[in-house]
Amino acid sequence: MNQVLRKVLTDGDIRRRSEIFSILDEIGEDLDLTETQFERARQSYGAVGDWLSGSTDPLLVSVLVYLQGSSALGTAVKPIGHREFDVDLICFCAGIASGISPADLKEAVGNRLKEHATYARIIEEKKRCWRLNYQGDFHLDLSPTISNRFCANGGELVPDRTLQQWHPTNPRAYKALFDRRAALKPRFVRTVFASEQRDSAKVEPFPIRETVKGILRRIVQLLKRHRDVFYENNTDDIVPISVIITTLAMQAYEYCVHRHVFQDEMDVLVEVIRMMPHFIERPIIDGRRGYAVPNETTNGENFADNWNKDPRRAPAFYNWHAQALLDFEAIRDAVGQDRLSLNMERSFGSGVTGRVFGSRVGAVSDGRKAGLLSVAPIIGLTTSKAAATTTVPANTFFGDQ
Amino acid sequence: MGRGGRQDLTLSQQLLFLRANPTIAGEGTVRANKLTWWMPIQPTALARTYQACVTYSPGETPSVQIIEPNLELMANGRALPHVYRSPLRLCLYLPGAGEWKATKRLDETIVPWTYLWLYYFEDWLGTDDWKGGGLHPGEEPEAPQNRALRRSVAGRRV
Repeated sequence: MNQVLRKVLTDGDIRRRSEIFSILDEIGEDLDLTETQFERARQSYGAVGDWLSGSTDPLLVSVLVYLQGSSALGTAVKPIGHREFDVDLICFCAGIASGISPADLKEAVGNRLKEHATYARIIEEKKRCWRLNYQGDFHLDLSPTISNRFCANGGELVPDRTLQQWHPTNPRAYKALFDRRAALKPRFVRTVFASEQRDSAKVEPFPIRETVKGILRRIVQLLKRHRDVFYENNTDDIVPISVIITTLAMQAYEYCVHRHVFQDEMDVLVEVIRMMPHFIERPIIDGRRGYAVPNETTNGENFADNWNKDPRRAPAFYNWHAQALLDFEAIRDAVGQDRLSLNMERSFGSGVTGRVFGSRVGAVSDGRKAGLLSVAPIIGLTTSKAAATTTVPANTFFGDQ
Repeated sequence: MGRGGRQDLTLSQQLLFLRANPTIAGEGTVRANKLTWWMPIQPTALARTYQACVTYSPGETPSVQIIEPNLELMANGRALPHVYRSPLRLCLYLPGAGEWKATKRLDETIVPWTYLWLYYFEDWLGTDDWKGGGLHPGEEPEAPQNRALRRSVAGRRV
């Protein structure tokens, strides 16, 4: 059991870092699909599944439509600007042999969708999938798959980019693996506050919600957002793809949780990010040292395949990762709300940062108006009831200028 | 003698209250009819720790100065909101409106308001938007029915 040697945190550091993590949690929540959006997407893809199942086309006799990707994993991130959420669906056509061509199966799915008056109006053809553009804030991307008889793990085959060949994939097993790792709970050193501070330490400055998502999902969301901001103005097609970030983060998370005892959530966050590149493999491919981020749930899928075709892609990952590590360390170490908010703006954008800090300041101002704001020993301003506090009475700030 | 028959608090009483208040750190003295109280203030866990100094003499208004860090340097050229100048002091309440008077305890008014000022100050540093409300001389109070406020502001118009 390693406990990485780091500087001892003061009680003030512990409280500060715990607040910082809860702000990051709020940023993740702000960037996520809302319950309403998720429910609308769920109803839409349920209806698409029913429609495809009702087809008389023999290719579509046994169709299962299910969520894959970030909306299935709980790691969705609101796109920057006015773009809509991607909701990725698999249209698994069970019972079809790999003899069928990817193009034919994709066409069969497309034809069936176009038979529906509504879908015919909102359908758009993409390279490997069909997109349904719903009014509002999301679109559904529907990729046809067939069963992969060579995969012992219940995997599937998906068309490659050229629609010439089948490509191994395994979204259901990937989600199961991600969920299992996300459920792992990190161990923390028992925080011992100095005795005279113990009572006040029980006072939460502001009511804090329990992290529903778990740390891993938040880490993945925050990293993806950082990537989106880092590459916001980049037009080259070299931006690190989400599945690589997700795969490396879940591997690093499992590794760290098994080996470390952490000081707090911020410690988990930074250590996981630090460890991510260690899970990039460097096999010899065609006589050269290449890159591999294998899909652990099926054979033959290397998420970093494109790194070996475009020499700019690996550096694009490493440059982004180095900056992400620096930025998350700076967020962890920020003293002063202004410094923290500026660091977060740089990492996640000014919109989401402004919303999250704005609503926290708003809660303090509301508490002040309602006469519920007080000063507690050591923790400062608080809206929670504690034994020894001094109420902040009504006042009107005045001044010279 | 304050209005309503309550006695003004003496400097020694104010000092005793400051020392006895468990939410307030710091130390102070009463010398030559002047109370001085030095205290560290960290408005929230995210904020810096500021060294504040409160001074108060009977018949005058309490003054709060931030000894460190230097607020003007932090503002980086921007004009600080809600301060008096020469020397730089925080403007925590509306004079004459009864928010502060000599019958009130410093530890229950001036000190918590200093926490609040510094809280909104750090937010202002990051956003350029002072969310703590308040008035500057010549401005009408937000609630026109509050005659004490209106009188007080009107009296201060140049």
